[in-house]
Amino acid sequence: MTSTVPTSQRSTDASRWLKANRGRISLAAFFVFVLVYSFVRMDTDDFFITIIRGVAVGAITFLVVSGLSLILGLMDVLNLAHGELYMLGAYVGWTIYVRPDTFLDAATPIALVLSALALLPLWRRITSQWPAGKWPRLVVPVVSIVVGLVLVAFLFTKFPLSIWNPDVFTEAPTNDALALDAGTQVVPEHAGFDGISPLLGVIGMWLGGAVLGIGIAAAVERKAEVVAPKPERSSYVISAGVAVFALVVLAVNNPLTEWWYGLGTTQRFFLALGLTTVLAFGLGMFIEVVFIRPLYERLLYQMMMTLGLAFILTETVRTIWGRPSFTMPKPAAFNGTGEGCPGEGLGGLFSGCGTIKLFGSRVRMYNDVLIIVVGVVVLVAITLLLKKSRLGMTIRAGVQDSEMVETLGINVRRVFTVTFGLGVALAALGGVMAGPALGLSTGMGASVLLLALIAMAIGGLTSFSGAAVGAVIVGVMQQLMIKFGSVGISLPGLEEPFKPSPAIVPVSVILLMVVVLLVLPHGLFGREE
Amino acid sequence: MTPLLDVQGIHTYIGQFHILEGVDFSVGEGEIVALLGRNGAGKTTTLKSIIGLTPPRSGEVVFDGEILRGKHTYDIAARGIGLVPEHRAIFSALSVEENLRLAERRKGDLERKEEFIFGLFPDLKRLINLPGTNLSGGQQQMLAVARALVPDNRLLLIDEPSEGLAPVLIEQMMEAIRKLSSQSTVLLVEQNFIVASRLASRYVIIEEGVSVAAGDMADLVNDEATIRKYLGAA
Repeated sequence: MTSTVPTSQRSTDASRWLKANRGRISLAAFFVFVLVYSFVRMDTDDFFITIIRGVAVGAITFLVVSGLSLILGLMDVLNLAHGELYMLGAYVGWTIYVRPDTFLDAATPIALVLSALALLPLWRRITSQWPAGKWPRLVVPVVSIVVGLVLVAFLFTKFPLSIWNPDVFTEAPTNDALALDAGTQVVPEHAGFDGISPLLGVIGMWLGGAVLGIGIAAAVERKAEVVAPKPERSSYVISAGVAVFALVVLAVNNPLTEWWYGLGTTQRFFLALGLTTVLAFGLGMFIEVVFIRPLYERLLYQMMMTLGLAFILTETVRTIWGRPSFTMPKPAAFNGTGEGCPGEGLGGLFSGCGTIKLFGSRVRMYNDVLIIVVGVVVLVAITLLLKKSRLGMTIRAGVQDSEMVETLGINVRRVFTVTFGLGVALAALGGVMAGPALGLSTGMGASVLLLALIAMAIGGLTSFSGAAVGAVIVGVMQQLMIKFGSVGISLPGLEEPFKPSPAIVPVSVILLMVVVLLVLPHGLFGREE
Repeated sequence: MTPLLDVQGIHTYIGQFHILEGVDFSVGEGEIVALLGRNGAGKTTTLKSIIGLTPPRSGEVVFDGEILRGKHTYDIAARGIGLVPEHRAIFSALSVEENLRLAERRKGDLERKEEFIFGLFPDLKRLINLPGTNLSGGQQQMLAVARALVPDNRLLLIDEPSEGLAPVLIEQMMEAIRKLSSQSTVLLVEQNFIVASRLASRYVIIEEGVSVAAGDMADLVNDEATIRKYLGAA
């Protein structure tokens, strides 16, 4: 604003700005009031630690909601399986971390099936040349899907797999976690192929996947008389690469297991974190191509599909890892005890202690510091990706109008696939990060999804920065309410301070969402359509 | 000589609505052809059918001798067709430069075309770092046209370039379209008959989803009966 503008006009500008932003201003005032009231009501160190914990909950929520909002914004898909993918991430991460031998054993057969499925474009090309009619269009797909599944399932039991058994107490996964934490874990004995030759097992597994892939390809709805395009070379390369990976893992299974068990918990944890994120990226792309893409333009069906997927994932996890919840040991570098612990002040951050004293509060290195750091790193990385890269540019444009992006000659579907993979990878990363802090349970997905949906609504559905702010607001609000459960809120007209019971905590967050949406129907950062 | 674009009896549905019921015309290399007709006649749908956003259910669209049936929009566009949609569909979340960058098909397209584009629309050079939301209506329209010029498009589908522009800007836009037609063939949808008649060398009239008349623009200008019948008072 230049000085030549008359004062009267400046004030109208200011009042116009005030009027346009009155909803945001009143909400900001409300949040400030909540913070100030909490500060007055609580001890200073209590207040401080509650805010930090709130931000940590916000960081985990953010990892889930960032993918959710990217996917919703770009593809109009509300992925109700996102919470369960977060849960799956936690369980897979736990497995790679605590039982790398099981992960390595399972990797070979799974990779063989995936190698065959990666040729789906080839199978589509073949099946699209089949004549129309009941047999090739209906009977063959059903039969080959069933045969493929049976073959894969049967051979899976023949592959060597050393695994826990949730139904037997002494072999339950809980014990593995406790053993790793106590440093008493021994390398489990390696099993061999069960009654078949490895060569037969490997070939059979791949063929099972191929039969399954042909069934899926034939079952997919076919556009009239159009022969599917020739598969791109990349699908052959991916397929071959995955197959080679499977065989290499099979060949060096034993020495690799020995090496892996020799690593410290910190290395094992970050190895698990990275591997799970990469695997989740692939799984996300697979889900998009197989389950979401055929249902484009049918939004309700897509949502039902993701809901169904959520239930299937929950039951799968229950079957493999069992119903009881269990723990995930904290990596040693963030769990030190003994001499010199807890560390003091900011220098304590690098002391390797499990807890440090900061501003008079006990701050837990893993739960309160590492999680926030990872959240911030992801926030910065994704922001840079969106702002600086061509992919990010395409995503931002696609959020606004994906058809128009396509008319520029850009294959938007491929961007959809990558974005879905990215969203699932972030959710899984969140799951692995949450594991050591919150423990693993089959209900963890549903509870984080609720928080994420609320954070998304508060932030403005498709706004990425809004999702980040919403997640922190939700996390802090939740932790403050928990704290007020013991401190109490003094309300006028009440003799005793009102103490919210634990059951009220989730309700209070939902209430917050209702208030925000009543004041700002598009959320804090949402744009009006 | 085979035409660059040949639209052969296309029928297009949107949902259950039969929008195009037989549209036939062709566009030769280097021409400017105007699609005329009343509101809702199916002109925009014709453009969308060519680029595959609303694929025709029957009939063929042939571009440069190749049948486009069954191809995805991105694939059709990559063959050298650019769409300038109505209502200036630029990406408001992106800066002017990013809007242009996004249209690159090969790295460096923008650098190669920069001089030509900013020659047509000098304003854009000044606004290059501004977010799309901050542009005026006219500037958005210029950006929408400029975006289609970044890659080497052989055919431009331009939908209502003069809509909602001030007279002075309409002149500027017409000048730009005339200049860019030296590099690309243009298929133009235009409500403003005066603009269309001054730009295009040939015309196609669409009436209720059917192409009913076509010919040289010079003949149409003097044919008041046809103008009144299909386009209302000119």
